[in-house]
Amino acid sequence: MQSLAKFTYASTHYRPREGMIAFILHRISGLAVLLFLSIHILDTSLVYFYPSGYEDFMDAYRSPFFMLAEIALMAGVVYHGLNGFRIALFDLVFPAAWTIDRERFSVRLTIFLAFLLWLPAGIIMGGNFIGYTFLGW
Amino acid sequence: MLVTLKIKRFDPERNPSSWWSSFTLEADPADRILDLLVRAKDELDGSLTFRRSCGHGICGSCAVRVNGTNKLACKTLVHDIGSKIVLEPLLGLRVEKDLVVDMDPFFASFRSIKPFLINGDPLPANGRERLQSPAERMRFDDTTKCILCAACTTACPVFWADGEYIGPAAIVAAHRFVFDSRDHGAAEHIVALAEAEGIWRCRTAFQCTTACPREIKVTKAIAEVKGAILRGEAR
Repeated sequence: MQSLAKFTYASTHYRPREGMIAFILHRISGLAVLLFLSIHILDTSLVYFYPSGYEDFMDAYRSPFFMLAEIALMAGVVYHGLNGFRIALFDLVFPAAWTIDRERFSVRLTIFLAFLLWLPAGIIMGGNFIGYTFLGW
Repeated sequence: MLVTLKIKRFDPERNPSSWWSSFTLEADPADRILDLLVRAKDELDGSLTFRRSCGHGICGSCAVRVNGTNKLACKTLVHDIGSKIVLEPLLGLRVEKDLVVDMDPFFASFRSIKPFLINGDPLPANGRERLQSPAERMRFDDTTKCILCAACTTACPVFWADGEYIGPAAIVAAHRFVFDSRDHGAAEHIVALAEAEGIWRCRTAFQCTTACPREIKVTKAIAEVKGAILRGEAR
């Protein structure tokens, strides 16, 4: 907890550049995916020993909050994977490419590609959200 | 031009918490931030405390946060920053007074990688220097430029969260010896890097490279040391 407080203070008192933004997004998306997977393993396990509880979970997933959170989660999954690939590529294959210009460009490209890859899923999931929530599907 | 120097102050003997002081100075756009600090201390407030030594970007004493970014006060000019200049101590190290931080943990990390030439071989037949080619020298040229100012380590988000992390400066020092053809002690240099608080805590946030006042390609050096360890070349 103390390290989180120290990190929060420092990261809000230092002017961030692309690499720092990529790092923070990577952490947040990673934690979000971990949280979702934990909940998902828990709810799926309910099928075996508490089926009605599983149904309750499925109903909760159709609530506006969860549906919006899943759309955001999708963005997190795509970004986390792409950014991890970017870092592994630079670190393990092309360390000489770690120049300031290339690094800044690579972060922007990663965020743009993540947005592009997320867009179809976002449209489909967004359509479902509108349908379930407002059109009574 | 008229410049406002806003400085984060801390003096445990006067006040347990920090406060801000503002100084308004007449400055030339080509003045260095260090010049302003010296003048503020000499003419306005003698209790203002900061580190300085050479004043020419070699000793690494005067690294501070200038408008939220680590810089050497002696290499940063007023016209690079503007008329509103905010100075704060480096992050992640305990503040002792005003802009002075406790550098002991930083130097302890530096010493842990054994930053000296290790070569047990007997001297060459002529009893003089161990020669290396220009290409061999260029292999680690970039990392010889480090002045141990701590700008990189204190810009690292991993170091902010975990002060035990060895930090980019120590890895840069290890790079300087691991890739030196005259050095035969790579295995000893990397012992501290292989530990839990060593090189693998690096998350390549790239803050170190952007903060380095000597323009060392720090993240590249870290990646090269990682690669040398992974491929078993650092022996």
